[in-house]
Amino acid sequence: MTIPLTPTLRAFAGLAFFAGTLLFAQAPQSATGESLFVQNCAFCHGRDTGGGETGPDLTRSKLVADDVGGDKIGPVVLNGRQEKGMPRFKLGDQELKDLAAYIHAQKKIAESQKGGRRGVDVSDLQTGNADDGKKYFNGAGKCAGCHSPTGDLAGVAARYQGLKLEERMLYPHGAAANIEVTLTSGEKLAGKVAYQDEFTIGLRDSNGWYHSWPTSSVKFKIDAPADAHAELLAQYSDDDVHNLMAYLQTLR
Amino acid sequence: MNLLKLTLLAALASGLAGAQEYDPNWQMKPPTDSWPGYHGDYSGRRHSPLTQITPANVEQLGLAWSFQTGESGQLKCSPLLVNGILYITMPDSVWAVDARSGHQLWHYAYPPNKGFHIGHRGVSMYKEWLFFTTPDAHLVSLNAKDGTVRWNVAIADWQKGYWMTMSPMVIRNHVIVGVSGDFDNLSGFLKAIDPETGKTQWRWDSTPPAGTPNATTGGMTWMTGTYDPDLNLLYWGTGNPTPVLNGKVRPGDNFYTCSIVAVNPDTGKLEWAFQPSPHDTHDWDAVETTVLVDAPFGGQARKMLMQTSRNGYFFVLDRTNGKSLLTTPYGPVNWSTGVDEQGRPKPNPNKEPAPDGRLIAPDEGGLTNYRSPSFDPKTGLFIVDAHPSYAIYFAKPADGAFGWAGADYTVWGKGVLDAIDYKTGKIRWTHELGPNGAGAGVLTTESGLIFTGDAMGNVLALNTGDGKTLWHSGTGVPMQSSPITYELDGQQYVVTSSGGVLFSWTLPKSLIAAR
Repeated sequence: MTIPLTPTLRAFAGLAFFAGTLLFAQAPQSATGESLFVQNCAFCHGRDTGGGETGPDLTRSKLVADDVGGDKIGPVVLNGRQEKGMPRFKLGDQELKDLAAYIHAQKKIAESQKGGRRGVDVSDLQTGNADDGKKYFNGAGKCAGCHSPTGDLAGVAARYQGLKLEERMLYPHGAAANIEVTLTSGEKLAGKVAYQDEFTIGLRDSNGWYHSWPTSSVKFKIDAPADAHAELLAQYSDDDVHNLMAYLQTLR
Repeated sequence: MNLLKLTLLAALASGLAGAQEYDPNWQMKPPTDSWPGYHGDYSGRRHSPLTQITPANVEQLGLAWSFQTGESGQLKCSPLLVNGILYITMPDSVWAVDARSGHQLWHYAYPPNKGFHIGHRGVSMYKEWLFFTTPDAHLVSLNAKDGTVRWNVAIADWQKGYWMTMSPMVIRNHVIVGVSGDFDNLSGFLKAIDPETGKTQWRWDSTPPAGTPNATTGGMTWMTGTYDPDLNLLYWGTGNPTPVLNGKVRPGDNFYTCSIVAVNPDTGKLEWAFQPSPHDTHDWDAVETTVLVDAPFGGQARKMLMQTSRNGYFFVLDRTNGKSLLTTPYGPVNWSTGVDEQGRPKPNPNKEPAPDGRLIAPDEGGLTNYRSPSFDPKTGLFIVDAHPSYAIYFAKPADGAFGWAGADYTVWGKGVLDAIDYKTGKIRWTHELGPNGAGAGVLTTESGLIFTGDAMGNVLALNTGDGKTLWHSGTGVPMQSSPITYELDGQQYVVTSSGGVLFSWTLPKSLIAAR
């Protein structure tokens, strides 16, 4: 909604701009962005964009760092991140720019402050013992059954650092699961699981085509290696997690 | 025309018009053509006596109508149904919808404001007035006939960090409201408001005022409670302490945060309290529905209160005095060292958030959250949408002692529907609902059906006895509300929502005529 500016409103807007510049060093668009942010985003990402319930600290987000004038933030806001529980938001072009301006302003404030910030630094995750982690990897954790430090994990610490590495270590979200579907005719199709609920099973074949069937009309077998990560969650001690993390960080 | 005829005609006319002034006592035993409170009735069981839709015919269930809000937000409310009119909400919005046809009667838009627009649970009613809470922590009374504003009062100061999402609870002439506010160190409270004037009748504070040395803040009262008319006790769950993840600055149990409290609705006097999470450091509000059940326990007739708490434990209390009858986890829980003599889990200090992270089950969203569970009296099953999950929790001195004061990250989770035997806490069956979590509320009916939703956006009807799926329909996105049911003109409807759309499901008319 746009409201035509009356002379009084114009004067007021000018004043607000003046006050904003002096007191908060904030562009007027970021003041509008603040309202949008508080209404729509602050519950999950914190009122100051530094993280809240379920949503990450945006002042440390790589996407925010790469964003120019909302070009990266905008699409995420409009499309949501359904897999992470972030809904879509219906905002106009100018609103997205204002919102991005506010997030960038908050990022600057956060970066200029010492301490008092939420979030996790790489240095926070250095309490483990790499030798013990290696033992766990090859022993109780049974990691070596699927992974190899010279194979799939070679250089993993160069690809992921800090919290990202720890999160992927605990559960690799988005890891592909293989599926083989047997039709009533006896014909077999193999591919990656593309959709699954109680009623429908979908796969993507090696040519990139999607196929789906009612679960009641076919037989299927799923091999989801990531399931082993979910099962391990109940077995780790916190020391195991920190030691494993220390070991993985040696794989550069 | 003689007097008798006139009287008969008048009676007929009032019968035809059908609109009766809303009486809060309907919530003691709701007429089946209504859903007169957040939970339907005062007990919070979300169990309907209706039996037209059965396990045998539910496969023929189809869409009666749908209602599009046109909003990109999600409906998280429980619809209110009075006199054939459904009232549904989103932050800043109330719609009145014809429960027979699904067409809009009116829409009320609250003026733009800077409060948190995170969700809205619904309106409540008294006589011909609706009560609506707002993101800037006001309570607005609307005329149910046309949605015009009758009065608007401030409940809390939004500039301090309060907001409101809850559906008020009406008991006689008390409109009971609670508040939200996790991002600042604030005290939670309940207020009883006079439905006629908007004046405060009493206030009960869950924590001491901010700034009290060594004391906690928090204990937000952000969900609707339940009520026992015989004991005249109002039961309410309170939220987590603040600062949320840093417990060092608030030593002790932190009363009355993460608590179930019994309050006299006429005076606001606390009668008893039970604390599901002493000294919480994981954001596990104990606001989940306090379900009231009268049934045998341990060979004795009992007035009980049951809660599947966000912290992963199922609690059964004697609701006359708040004493524990049963405490047991209903999914993965790794943060306690056992249960104390009062039936409260003992938090493990080594599982408090730490600078290098602690792996915790369940995650911050909890093993369940605000969407309603349901109790089925016939089977004695407590049915809950559960979320087995793990997260890593961090807190370091640099995170401070205000508001969130740390960070946490969900690692893994999934959705299951659990059927808990209330006598033992044992899970009789589990129905998988999909990756990450479903989050739909649960409704049971006397015919032996469960209505809920899965993680992929299917609405489900299950057999209460064994949890097997009997019917489903894809609605696009997962349900984030709790279903209701009612009967109008001899036809039973089940109402669910997904995204910004309300769906009404019913059986074919031909099938009902043949019965």
